[in-house]
Amino acid sequence: MAIIKTNATRRCVPATVVALALLMAQADGVQAQEWEDWDVAGFAEAVNHWRDSDGPDGLVKQRNTLQIEWSRSRGPGLSVSGVLRGSYDSVYDFNDSEFGSDAGGSVTIENAGGTGIFGPERVPWGQSIINSPLPGLPGGGGFGFNLNQNPNEGLILLGDDINTGTGGNFLPGFGGVQLAYPAQPCDDDKRGCIGSYMNKDEGDLKFPEFNDKLDFIRELYVDYEHAFESGRAFNLRVGRQQVIWGRTDLFRVLDVVNPVDYSRHNIYDELEDIRIPMGILNAEYRMGGVGAFDDLNFQGLWNFEPFRPNDLGQGGQPYSILQAGNFFRAFNNCWDNGCTVANFAPAPDGSPALLATDFGPNQIGIRDADVPDDWGDTAIGGRIEGVFKGVGFSLNALSYRAQLPTLSGRNIESDNPFTAEVESQDYPYLIAFDIKFPRLFMVGGSADFYVDPIKSAFRVEMTHTQDEEFANTLNPDLYSESDVLRWVLGWDRPTFIPFLNKTRSFLFSAQVFGQHILDHEKESGPIGPRGIPDFENNYIATLLINGFYKADRIQPRVITAYDTGAKAGVVSPQFDWLLTDHWRLIAQGNFKWGEDDQQFDDNRTANPFPPFTCPPPAPGCDFNSPSLGLGGYEPLGRFQQGPIGMAQEENEYQLTIRYQF
Amino acid sequence: MNRLLTTFAALAMALAASLASAATPEDVENSFFPYRNWTPEFPGLPPGSVVNQSNIEQFKDVVDFMMYDHIKQGWYEIKVGETTSFDLHPNYVQATRDHLNETTLGEKVGEINNFVAGRPFPEEPDINDPQAGLKIAWNYKYGYNWGDNAAIAPFYWKFRDLESGKIERTIKFNFHFLNFMHRVNQAPLPSVEPNPGQLFRGIYVIANEPFDIKNTQLLIHRYENDLERDDAWLYLGFQRRVRRLPAGQITDSFLGSDLMIEDFEGYNGRISDMNWTYKGTQNVLLPFYNHNDMPLSEDHPEKDGYKFIDFGNQGGCFAQVTWQLRKAHILESDPVDPNHPISKRVHYIDAQTYTIPRTLIYDRKGDFWKSWFICQAHPDHHLAKNKGTGVSIDDCFTMIDMQAKHCTTGQFKGQLDPEMNPQRLFRVQNMRTTGR
Repeated sequence: MAIIKTNATRRCVPATVVALALLMAQADGVQAQEWEDWDVAGFAEAVNHWRDSDGPDGLVKQRNTLQIEWSRSRGPGLSVSGVLRGSYDSVYDFNDSEFGSDAGGSVTIENAGGTGIFGPERVPWGQSIINSPLPGLPGGGGFGFNLNQNPNEGLILLGDDINTGTGGNFLPGFGGVQLAYPAQPCDDDKRGCIGSYMNKDEGDLKFPEFNDKLDFIRELYVDYEHAFESGRAFNLRVGRQQVIWGRTDLFRVLDVVNPVDYSRHNIYDELEDIRIPMGILNAEYRMGGVGAFDDLNFQGLWNFEPFRPNDLGQGGQPYSILQAGNFFRAFNNCWDNGCTVANFAPAPDGSPALLATDFGPNQIGIRDADVPDDWGDTAIGGRIEGVFKGVGFSLNALSYRAQLPTLSGRNIESDNPFTAEVESQDYPYLIAFDIKFPRLFMVGGSADFYVDPIKSAFRVEMTHTQDEEFANTLNPDLYSESDVLRWVLGWDRPTFIPFLNKTRSFLFSAQVFGQHILDHEKESGPIGPRGIPDFENNYIATLLINGFYKADRIQPRVITAYDTGAKAGVVSPQFDWLLTDHWRLIAQGNFKWGEDDQQFDDNRTANPFPPFTCPPPAPGCDFNSPSLGLGGYEPLGRFQQGPIGMAQEENEYQLTIRYQF
Repeated sequence: MNRLLTTFAALAMALAASLASAATPEDVENSFFPYRNWTPEFPGLPPGSVVNQSNIEQFKDVVDFMMYDHIKQGWYEIKVGETTSFDLHPNYVQATRDHLNETTLGEKVGEINNFVAGRPFPEEPDINDPQAGLKIAWNYKYGYNWGDNAAIAPFYWKFRDLESGKIERTIKFNFHFLNFMHRVNQAPLPSVEPNPGQLFRGIYVIANEPFDIKNTQLLIHRYENDLERDDAWLYLGFQRRVRRLPAGQITDSFLGSDLMIEDFEGYNGRISDMNWTYKGTQNVLLPFYNHNDMPLSEDHPEKDGYKFIDFGNQGGCFAQVTWQLRKAHILESDPVDPNHPISKRVHYIDAQTYTIPRTLIYDRKGDFWKSWFICQAHPDHHLAKNKGTGVSIDDCFTMIDMQAKHCTTGQFKGQLDPEMNPQRLFRVQNMRTTGR
């Protein structure tokens, strides 16, 4: 009830502000003006992606979109604008065996130690040797789950498309962990669907804008401007909108006011198309030239719409950045219904082998997602932007909720699988989590400038964010906080390549993105590295080369990116042909490469349930202790693989046909 | 003693040079009102006559060689109108009188001293003056082109195939111009303040159609100090970001058209980017006319009934306007930068208005590349709001790429309306604030 009240009040805020803007407009005499004609434009397009992959492939996107953009002005000071977007992705009908109601199937789970009495090398889901009937299992316990509720169907092995095997290089022969995720829409298979976070049914996936957030109203806002005689101006924009900060492409260093929908096409769509517009009160005071500044402006903003995280794509969707949606769904199913995990428990006879393990409900996994929805969860920020001696600059600050989820192992009341009782207590180092979106405070700045001797424009952004949360296997709650520095340096230069085009230059645009985790924690454990899987320092470089032919109506371009930590890259050649002012055709490829050696501690060798999980050689078996560092690809290797490396098998051919008006 | 004599001698020579080049009030009158007591004539070319493929040989002395070629090939024919006076605004003329002979050239190309307002060098250019070209260039830069401010709204550009006439693309822009300094007519005078960066001029452009470039915005800041590089920013609608524009893009195709940003208005760059050479003065046919007397296009109807100049002939690349026989200074500019994509431009500067209605452009190899026309309409025969503004209104253009056999045409609705060009429009933040 409290939430309902909160939302109702929150809805009143923009209405109040709009009313205020209209009143101010009336005072300005805007009301005496006539409404001008509607300015309407838009497009209809069909986007088709085919994927060649070891995982779900074939047609992965057949999205048909109608987008209408409109605005209407009343005098110079008042206008109303909006963007309506609706789309239908037929891939869930045409390729439902991969991404729809028939996706997935039965799976077998690796059982590396199963070479003798402990079963075969792979066991069917829910039928591992580590199950409650196993004689000699310490504690007797609650291993195993109800296969009727959690059947071996509609499942896909996590990460199976990008990795050969499960890893485990730190201690060869033991393998790595692996889980399976339910792949069908949530109305077909509710397993692993997280109530308020990742819970899309087939209709939501097919028609992503037609949901209870009314996303088909992509943008709708009122602009009001009061111009002072001094040449200064006050601007107010209220409503659902995108607020763009920063000066770089592809990377979101300062550009974090709006969350982003990565489920549409991972990181590869224009940000304008994948930012999730939010209800924002955006006020600016534009001073123009003042003092030593050629231009100086102040901006304050308040995001009053209930918090929305980035859409990472849920388990079973064609695009799931970092395959996080698959991972979350697998882990949430683990918590709700139990799961079989590859190569997890030591052989009961003490032999050096790890076996597939059936965990029961409420033992490990993701318990819930805590999606904030309160006044205290709104974002508030400000920016000073201007031009000083020809250098464009901005100083930004934003207090907001993290749009990317973190996994917190704090206060997760779990059951010990080694016992028959239902303990419901918090076990340190247990791989049981809630998804959290912690509050962050970011300060940063940006600048752009031109360097004449090398005919180049440069763009710089840098931010410092406080208290971001990272997975950390050294911490009893399996996460820790750290401040983070991020920066981007961009370079733009038009350059003639006469043998390719003697009258029109090519645009070269390169960027380097860096991230430094200030409180990074990582150490060598007895078996392998443990701590924070993300690299302390990581760098991603991008290069765009854009050519222009036939009055810019034909534009070949190549976009490449390389993640130095993941040792993974992507190249996207594109051919963009504007047939007429109305028809446009874009053919492109998206080809990735990478090394699948990004493995990290998976916490199998932690001791959350002493004495049952006391790791050999068992020093101090009577208290909780962190992992020894045995690891594999899953689940934490993904944080080193990054968004490019985790999609390295998703090579695609893409064709877009657009009619614009 | 010797040193004293030398100093006196130097002073005397400087004084003599100064007196020799000093402009007189008569020079001012002749510069601004050349047709008060004189009308250029050419045998067989009275107003109302037509220059076409059949008689071009007779009139090759009043057209440039490329215009001769266009007509010779039958691509176009020139309808000759009466030569009329395009009087610039009295305040601009008076400012020239008030500050006569105050302005001098600096030591470097791009430096100028003591300029306040008006036409800095109103005297008749002297072919023997090695700096005559430079003075003409300064007269153009500080000309009354678009007055203190102006808007072209809307402004239709069409990309056309010169051979087939097919229109490949139509872009609808708004252009806005604002002089921050040396203003003579509209408040604030003489400068927009504050102006900490010492901007001379701002140019703001927004594309409204078609959809793929809708909301693309361009902002150019030209500094009073000509040696300072222009700043330029581009707002890309599909990115919703402002990007600083490398100077190289000023000399590259603008949004795929046959123009580069540097071509705007005839020449849109720094004085110091070019070497300037005066090649003489000639009576030539130039596209000057009364807009309301022309056969106008029925395309793109405006609510207020305004109609745009029509295009036709070869490829639809030629404006359907009348031309006047006018006095023009021929000015050659070649880039200082050896990597500049052109080797030279030959400008025909209208001697009365110092607009650039005609330019010939040569590529880096020295081959002829582009044929550039900018039509000039009299303000008293245009929109009612433009009457009496004393601005020679850019009214249509054609840029023909002779190598690519392609052209871009422009149809203007020029409006001398200060309210359309508020100072805040020419700020970087405006692009972000108004961008969608």
